[in-house]
Amino acid sequence: MSEQPEGETETDSAAETETIEQLRQSFWYGSRSNLDFKYLKDLSDAEFGDFVQEMLAAVSATMDTGDAAAVIDTAYRWQIQAYRGHLGDPNDFPHRYEDVPINAMAKPLAQSRLTLVTSSGHFVDGDDPKPFGVESMTQAEAEARIGEFLREAPSLSTIPVDVDVSQLRVRHGGYPTASMRADHQVGFPLGHLTDLVTDGVIGELNPTAYSFSGAASQVRLKKTVAPEWAQRLADDGTEAVLLVPI
Amino acid sequence: MSVGHVQRAIEQVGIPAVSVCVKAFGHIPELMGLSRSLITQHPMGRPLGAPGDGERQRAVVEAALALLDSPDQVIVEFAEPYRPM
Repeated sequence: MSEQPEGETETDSAAETETIEQLRQSFWYGSRSNLDFKYLKDLSDAEFGDFVQEMLAAVSATMDTGDAAAVIDTAYRWQIQAYRGHLGDPNDFPHRYEDVPINAMAKPLAQSRLTLVTSSGHFVDGDDPKPFGVESMTQAEAEARIGEFLREAPSLSTIPVDVDVSQLRVRHGGYPTASMRADHQVGFPLGHLTDLVTDGVIGELNPTAYSFSGAASQVRLKKTVAPEWAQRLADDGTEAVLLVPI
Repeated sequence: MSVGHVQRAIEQVGIPAVSVCVKAFGHIPELMGLSRSLITQHPMGRPLGAPGDGERQRAVVEAALALLDSPDQVIVEFAEPYRPM
């Protein structure tokens, strides 16, 4: 059997060849976009080969045992390796600080008001932040417009802590949201915090929790938005904050 | 990274704060000079635990809140590995 289809020239074949680099990058908001594996873009070709080899071995083991632990572990280990490389030299990290702003609790947490802030992109149905003026933007649309999100300042959604969970929505162009749709407490733990108030661990919750999409202009967030939000929390009477990222 | 900017700003107005951080970004708290961080051995997108794993989610939240007692910078790892339900 010929390796080259009849009538196809060598030049045509070469034009359709996908390089390993193109293959890796296709998982990063490309033709094979998968936010759980977008990190493959940041591997070298050799590392990508190692990843595929390890993942296939893990899948083979799973076929015999039915235990997917090896598959999950492989995905997890390579995620860590890729994201560490993604930032490059730590000395060149643009948001590196030598100081550590920190305050001690004025009183025990059991007597304090706690506020929940997440960068998960949660909001309440009917109070959509409408990015770029778009009504009911889907998760897929948010992923497709990730470049625009990364240039814009984030907006802060307010969420009553006694919200009916069925009214929670989540959308974020930068990470896979399926897990949070299945169970919002994966990253927006209102129920657990409410239980901790009942159990006396937390004094009270700020009646308002906050969420934003962390896929945003980091410069705008740092210079103007974050200081405004922090002052808003102070005005709320917040005495401690739990932040949950993606 | 975005949470890091917010956490620093919150501390700068005088409010104690603690953040959770998945291991893939576990190097960020030190680089950004964050006050208190709990690093979980969870994949990105599942910071507190797997869907349906309320026991793990609550344990992570409690472990993070316990760090608020520290008057000094503290960055520690939650010991338990990820467990899908």
